[in-house]
Amino acid sequence: MLCDDCKKKPASISFKEVLPDKTIELNLCDECASKRGLLVNRKLSPVEILQKLLRQRSEQDEKVICPRCYLSLAEFKRIGRFGCSDCVMTFATHIQHLIKQIHQSDRHIGRKAAPGTKKGLEVYRLREELKKALESELYEDAAKIRDKLREYGIKDV
Amino acid sequence: MFDNIRWLIPTSKKTLPCGEESEIVVSSRIRVARNLNSIPFEVKMKASDAEYLIGLVKSIINERLAGEFLSLKDLKPLEKESLLECHLVSPGFIRKDKPASVFINEGGNVSVMVNEEDHLRYQGISCGLNLVNLSGAVFEVEEMIGDNVDYAFNDAYGYLTSCPTNIGTGMRASVFMHLPGLVFTNEVEKVLKGALQIGMAVRGIYGEGSEIRGSLFQISNQHTIGFREEDLLERTTKLAKMIIDIEKKARDVILTKARNEFEDKIFRSLAILRSARTISSGEVLNLLSAVRFGIGVGIVKEITLATLNEILVVSRPANIQLFFGELLEEQERDIKRAEYIRQKLGVN
Ligand SMILES: [Zn+2]
Ligand SMILES: [Zn+2]
Repeated sequence: MLCDDCKKKPASISFKEVLPDKTIELNLCDECASKRGLLVNRKLSPVEILQKLLRQRSEQDEKVICPRCYLSLAEFKRIGRFGCSDCVMTFATHIQHLIKQIHQSDRHIGRKAAPGTKKGLEVYRLREELKKALESELYEDAAKIRDKLREYGIKDV
Repeated sequence: MFDNIRWLIPTSKKTLPCGEESEIVVSSRIRVARNLNSIPFEVKMKASDAEYLIGLVKSIINERLAGEFLSLKDLKPLEKESLLECHLVSPGFIRKDKPASVFINEGGNVSVMVNEEDHLRYQGISCGLNLVNLSGAVFEVEEMIGDNVDYAFNDAYGYLTSCPTNIGTGMRASVFMHLPGLVFTNEVEKVLKGALQIGMAVRGIYGEGSEIRGSLFQISNQHTIGFREEDLLERTTKLAKMIIDIEKKARDVILTKARNEFEDKIFRSLAILRSARTISSGEVLNLLSAVRFGIGVGIVKEITLATLNEILVVSRPANIQLFFGELLEEQERDIKRAEYIRQKLGVN
């Protein structure tokens, strides 16, 4: 196969790029690939480092299990995804090096989550209750729930 | 038909003004991943959890923000494709089989995907180099929801995400650049090497040798933890500016060494756009590339970048159908697209 760019030299490398609407495939000779910047002696990307590190498995992995979502360290290494917000601390000693190698840091210094007022959760719960009360024609209950919602500044009820 | 998102096409009512250097920078994008403490993450989530989260987010947003809250299952295939073409959802999102929804703000420039790989994925898009303003728009929505829910957060690791590659800030900032000059002067490799050295990822969307077509490149931060959000935005912006400077010098080289050849390409491209009776989206992309270059170096004066950016978006296969409000076969699409472009460029 000839190189797609110069159409002179034989192609030695093939590249594939998946875009949302199409897949581009290119077969290039070394020289043209380097012209396009595709031969940069590239470092592994975070996803590639993750995949590499997840292949380091041990027998202990089955026994480290998140008490909340029951994801085991072994399963984490298979799928590369956490199962809940407790997984991270459950696996902390096992994944610290992993995060450090992927990001060259394992210490967050950015924004901090402000403890939410949880108003949204409460309003949502009350709205659901109101719906149920109205469906069951419990109008007194509905009126009480409406009052509570108004205390939260909700006027359209 | 297609009432769910037809208001988005064309995207002329974007609330943010274009950023800097928009003849070289096609777009800036920001994505922020968040999860809730109280619900299992995607891989352990039940359909009932997914429904609960959608209901919760919808009630929070509807009370506070103007825009559209759309359920994935209510969207027609064409509408999904169109949201993808507008970069308001991800390819992974439209393939989800669990309940999922997306909120799109009034301006059509900020979206919130619910139940993608993370519970919440905030996204913003702007034309030109505009990361700082854009981050303001994205974090405004992120904070508004954050005031009402408990984000999964840990002092050491920051915001917790499904995938370890997003942990910390959960933020990815990208800049899409059109770099025909670098392709012409063979400096792409040099620039990409430099970018990788400082922890930035570069993806080429392929330009071809001395041709202007394509030549699109994306830079984005690789690391999400260990930096403050402002630092990530600044590093990405700085690198983009550095590349823009090299690109501008390369364009000067083109204008001294190959002016006739490039002028010819630019005006031929414009002529085709102005007179074609049928045209594919791929061809439009290539021709617009040449015209964008022409505007950037001052050879094309009568067309604005805003017009060009609009044609770029509306010409995509799904968007062109939404623009005309009907399902079109490929051949009809190519004819309608040519018609739309001629009208946009002021000829008939
Ligand atoms: Zn070649
Ligand atoms: Zn867990």
